[in-house]
Amino acid sequence: MDSECLSFLPRICVALADPRQSPPDDTSLEKLLDWFKDLPNQRNVNGEGLLQQQPCLLEFISSVCKCKDTDHAILSFTLKLTGLLAATEQGFSLLEEEGLLACAFKRGGWCAPDLWHEPSVRSGWLQGLLHTLNHRKALEFVRENGLIKVLLHLQNDPSLFVSSLANEVLVNILNFMTSSKMSNSSDAVGSAQCPLGPDWVSVSSEIIRAGVEALGSKKHPQVIQGLKLLSLVLSQCGEPIRSMLWKDVLVPLEVLINGGSGLLTLPLMTVLQAAVRTPLLSQSDCKVKELMEAMLGAGNGKDCFQCAALIVTLEKCPEELKRKAINIILLPLRCLSTQLQDIEKELEIVVKKQLSQKSSCISLLLQSLSGITELAHTKYPFEDIPQVTCSVMLLLRICSGHRPSFSLPSIVSTQLIGCCKVQRCGLDTLDALSVYNENLDLRHEVFGVLLEYLQNPDSHATVLKKALQAAVRWVGVCSPFPDLLQFISRDLFPALEKRTCDLRWEVRDSTLEFITQMTAALRGNTGYAEVLHTSSMFSILLSSLADVEGYVRASAVGAVGEAVTSLVQQTELLPEEVLTQMMAILSQDTEGFPRRAVVKAFTSWLKGTHPLPALDQSLSAVLSLGGNDLDWEVKIHTLELADVLMERTLTYCPYATQISSSPDETRLTQALRKLKDLGLLDLLLNSLFDCDRPVCEKACSLLLKLRTLAVDIDRSDVVLDVCGNRWGDEVGSRYLNKPQAERSLCVINGAKESCEKMDSDLLSIREISLPDVVRLLDLDSMQRTLILSRDHVVNSPRSLMEDILLSVQQTEENIVDCY
Amino acid sequence: MKLYCLSGHPTLPCNVLRFKSTTIMLDCGLDITASLYFLPLPLVHSPRLSKLPGWVSKDGAVNLEKELKECSGRVFVDSQPEFCLPERELLDLSTIDVILISNYHCMMALPYITEHTGFTGTVYATEPTLQIGRLLMEELVAFMERVPKAHTATCWKNKDIQRLLPAPLKDAVDVCSWRRCYSMQEVNSALSKVQLVGYSQKVELFGAVQVSPLSSGYSLGSSNWIIQSHYEKVSYVSGSSLLTTHPQPMDQSSLKNSDVLILTGLTQIPTANPDGMLGEFCSNLSMTIRAGGNVLVPCYSSGVIYDLLECLYQFMDSANLGNTPFYFISPVANSSLEFSQIFAEWLCQNKQSKVYLPEPPFPHAELIQTNKLKHYPSIHGDFSSEFRQPCVVFTGHPSLRFGDVVHFMELWGKSSLNTIIFTEPDFSYLEALAPYQPLAMKCVYCPIDTRLNFHQVSKLLKEIQPLHVVCPEPYTQPPPAQPHRTDLMLELQHPPMAYRRCSVLGLPFRRRYERIHLLPELAKSLVLSEMKTGVSVATVSAVLHSKDNKHVLQVREFQNKPRPHASCHGTA
Repeated sequence: MDSECLSFLPRICVALADPRQSPPDDTSLEKLLDWFKDLPNQRNVNGEGLLQQQPCLLEFISSVCKCKDTDHAILSFTLKLTGLLAATEQGFSLLEEEGLLACAFKRGGWCAPDLWHEPSVRSGWLQGLLHTLNHRKALEFVRENGLIKVLLHLQNDPSLFVSSLANEVLVNILNFMTSSKMSNSSDAVGSAQCPLGPDWVSVSSEIIRAGVEALGSKKHPQVIQGLKLLSLVLSQCGEPIRSMLWKDVLVPLEVLINGGSGLLTLPLMTVLQAAVRTPLLSQSDCKVKELMEAMLGAGNGKDCFQCAALIVTLEKCPEELKRKAINIILLPLRCLSTQLQDIEKELEIVVKKQLSQKSSCISLLLQSLSGITELAHTKYPFEDIPQVTCSVMLLLRICSGHRPSFSLPSIVSTQLIGCCKVQRCGLDTLDALSVYNENLDLRHEVFGVLLEYLQNPDSHATVLKKALQAAVRWVGVCSPFPDLLQFISRDLFPALEKRTCDLRWEVRDSTLEFITQMTAALRGNTGYAEVLHTSSMFSILLSSLADVEGYVRASAVGAVGEAVTSLVQQTELLPEEVLTQMMAILSQDTEGFPRRAVVKAFTSWLKGTHPLPALDQSLSAVLSLGGNDLDWEVKIHTLELADVLMERTLTYCPYATQISSSPDETRLTQALRKLKDLGLLDLLLNSLFDCDRPVCEKACSLLLKLRTLAVDIDRSDVVLDVCGNRWGDEVGSRYLNKPQAERSLCVINGAKESCEKMDSDLLSIREISLPDVVRLLDLDSMQRTLILSRDHVVNSPRSLMEDILLSVQQTEENIVDCY
Repeated sequence: MKLYCLSGHPTLPCNVLRFKSTTIMLDCGLDITASLYFLPLPLVHSPRLSKLPGWVSKDGAVNLEKELKECSGRVFVDSQPEFCLPERELLDLSTIDVILISNYHCMMALPYITEHTGFTGTVYATEPTLQIGRLLMEELVAFMERVPKAHTATCWKNKDIQRLLPAPLKDAVDVCSWRRCYSMQEVNSALSKVQLVGYSQKVELFGAVQVSPLSSGYSLGSSNWIIQSHYEKVSYVSGSSLLTTHPQPMDQSSLKNSDVLILTGLTQIPTANPDGMLGEFCSNLSMTIRAGGNVLVPCYSSGVIYDLLECLYQFMDSANLGNTPFYFISPVANSSLEFSQIFAEWLCQNKQSKVYLPEPPFPHAELIQTNKLKHYPSIHGDFSSEFRQPCVVFTGHPSLRFGDVVHFMELWGKSSLNTIIFTEPDFSYLEALAPYQPLAMKCVYCPIDTRLNFHQVSKLLKEIQPLHVVCPEPYTQPPPAQPHRTDLMLELQHPPMAYRRCSVLGLPFRRRYERIHLLPELAKSLVLSEMKTGVSVATVSAVLHSKDNKHVLQVREFQNKPRPHASCHGTA
């Protein structure tokens, strides 16, 4: 812990405990609590140590609890803090000795009992108690002071935060009794060696009894809380608590499930979901499977669908049950496509009725589609996958106004035509269904539906986006089929061309992103590359580079970049027009996104497997423009480009071999000279002193990489101009500040000199060798400083404490001002 | 109360309402779709159209070589295009007291009604309706008179001959009532009978009923009408829009509590959302121009064209097509563009406020100033020297049978680079294109109809709750091509009364009350007996005097003399 922060604590405590001063905002108090929580990890200071070092904390707790006018936010904070400090046995003992635990947690301990009505105070009380529940003493404190009753009462608190927190504390108590922390004691519940102590049995029984009573209650909120407690116990507690509770709740649970109250479907399913994940599932007397089946069969149709939708998402689920749930999930779609043969009559009627009702039709279909999507994500083997896919396509067609070949209740089609929700969800499902090989034979129909959506002028922008996402996926899986190219050139490209001219920029943007993704997905497909470049699509992409919207221009740059990559694989030529337009965007575009995209495109070209001779001529300009950009992200992307360039040049040196054949020059030196000529070294050094920290950090890491190679070369091999560069001044000033260190390194006016030079001579440095400059800069120290400076000021505990004090002081000043 | 339906066309209505001894004609739309049976009238000599073979029946029994020509696999009438008029036999048009016009598209048959029928009444319309209606009529007359035809085809209309003709001519109905276009003299005479009214202005008709126009939000000066007496209210809703376009928004609240609502002029393309169509229009236009082609937009010289120009004003720059010229060619192009800028009080609030800046309400003024939009009365003259391609041409007539558009069809039809974009919903684009086949140019159908759709009208009717709704028959059933689209029809709690051409509907409400005034001296003499709190009765003995549909109870001369018993001669 920073000793400076410690010195602030007494003032903070005085300020917070003073009821005349307004409390700081909740966020500051929460941050302060986080800092207290972190203390043991950071400085190995536990509650006891802190209390001994900082007695002001004891005074603070005492004065807040005894103050009649204390603010509810401060009391809540104090209760949480007390709990944190009592998290260790020693801290607990110290607080107990001072009588502060009873003062904070026993009912009637505070001098402002009315504050209990504040939900934030009750929540603080519960959180404080939760923090303490780390040791046996705390548990005894809870038991001895009858706090279990308070907790059970708070379980039904009107505040949802308080009631769920009360549940959490109760579960923690039950869990703690079975944990290893109690194993040393003879009181551990169910311990084989040690029989259950009567005190603990009474505690667990009290909680379990309350849970069972809640399930049997006629009051709906109590039942809900009982079910929440049950699901928490099942998911968080071990044996024997879990089995004990399950045995007791089984009968009321069966009653609730068979009662078929729609409002309880969700909490009941949460309980069963938790039960499925435990060994209870495999114990026949626990009837988990039976209960699940009863859930599916109980209640009205709506609950049955909700239940089925939840069952299909279960990871561990008996296969038979899952099949049953899937049949129910598929029912609405099958109903729409009149494939009702082996459906139970009763359920069929329910589905038809719900489909014909305005309120339930859409939600039922959405549930069905989402269920199929979930299953498709796990590649679940449906019985008849193509039929499921056909049903989804039929629904999508109905949504776009098609008339099905059979009669459909008019309300259904009225509801569905143009319904964006169903369209989006249906397209997501169609997207997910692309994972099944069985569907590949349906590709023409699928592309037909997708094309219809892409062509429909009334398709909402979000629907189009989904259609494009699905199309990318289907294009990817259908890439081996030769008829795909025909579809792309004859149907898809004309639809996309129109969309690139859409009035809505979102649509233009999504379309260009789609073209980028499709081109990437079909990389290496020479047929596609030919179609792309022989159609008018490529010229449309080029014209989109001048779109009025910055995001669209950026996406167009991406699309052109990807298209060029596919072209280059065939021709190894970079179209002149592309380079000109890209450079124009980098140098003139007023928005950052397109400029970033240009640098990324160059990086991607450079990374490509085919070298581009034409690229070499532009790299220098890209590095220079990108490095001098005002947008820090453009600079970062430029440094990423520099990284790739370094990687390629220094590893393969493809350029070095071209520029010199002199036998006495090493390939490394040639490569470094090449990088220097491209302006990469100037870029790195300039970026090192950039005003944006991430830029400096990236440049520093690249220079460190370079240093490992450059230190070994001859000083005269790669010499850099100091003058006329931004970095020159920085290096000069550092050199002047450290004369001893640099005297043996410098190269003055191109010739090696002895190191006995005066400062005035040093000012006249014109050139410096690369090895010297990377040594001179003390990059390791710079990197450490840069890493440390990440969010250092903003998140420091000291600044937090200063803020708290300042806010209190400002309030005082404001009050004075007001008077 | 009776409604005589002289037109079955849902968007070109012509109905006559007999109400309280007044005879009111509601709109007089002219059905121009009949012109689709005729050959186009080329402005410049067309070798293709002039060399078409004449039609002779297969067995040679019927020879109409001079009247009918075979073109692109179909038979067309080679004569000046004719139009289908509202029914003129159902009632004596000379008995019509007033004609209420709701918008400039619904008055195109006015000269046929007011001239040569004995009509002596008054026509009521708003100022923009009159002025723009006049422009549309002038344009129609100009289109016809610029290309006079020496002969008029009449033989083919003979019933015995018509049934032997190939489709679709043999299926054309009421061909004998089709008429050639009126003359400018008839137009001027008809329009001289128009009396201007402003929104919410109340006009008394013979003291019997009061009529008042309300903004309908569809076009400049477009109106719905309220026709009411003291105890009855009839609303006439025709061509209304709830979309935010250039006209003043629709006044819905005044339509509340109507006994009868006559509903016409809903959108003709209920499945086409105007926003989506506008997007399609721009995308297709942009694609064509980028590919070096020209765009032809057959349109009326007023209405949606203002919105299209406004949309393109923003779009062209954003699509980097700012240098593409727009040409608006019509005999009334200049007047139309200028009129739109001067009717500020008839525009939406946003446009009205521009006038006070001062700025022109429509951005086409700036397009004209910067030479991006040029307008010409015809393709002859300056246009031919200033014309450069690729370009966008807006010109009429949307039927493609007459007007400058015919020339552009002949000029650009052969190149697949060019595109024709249909934006007017009044004509089937396939029918319009029929005499130009085979056609290489791309055809795009983007009908922009801003009138109420079925969803909007259902909401409106729920809001204003009329007791009875009367509407054209097509609104009571799904479109024939989409029988499953029950969302594309009126579904009301009480089924609407449907009408078709020549229907006579007895409107389902009886007049039960009439207002009668008591003269003060008679009122003074009444002796009231209180029956219960707030209700008093008296026996009245007076003379009922009725004049100009106003009824007054006057004191009888002998009433001042004492009488043993009062007798009741009239009841108030």
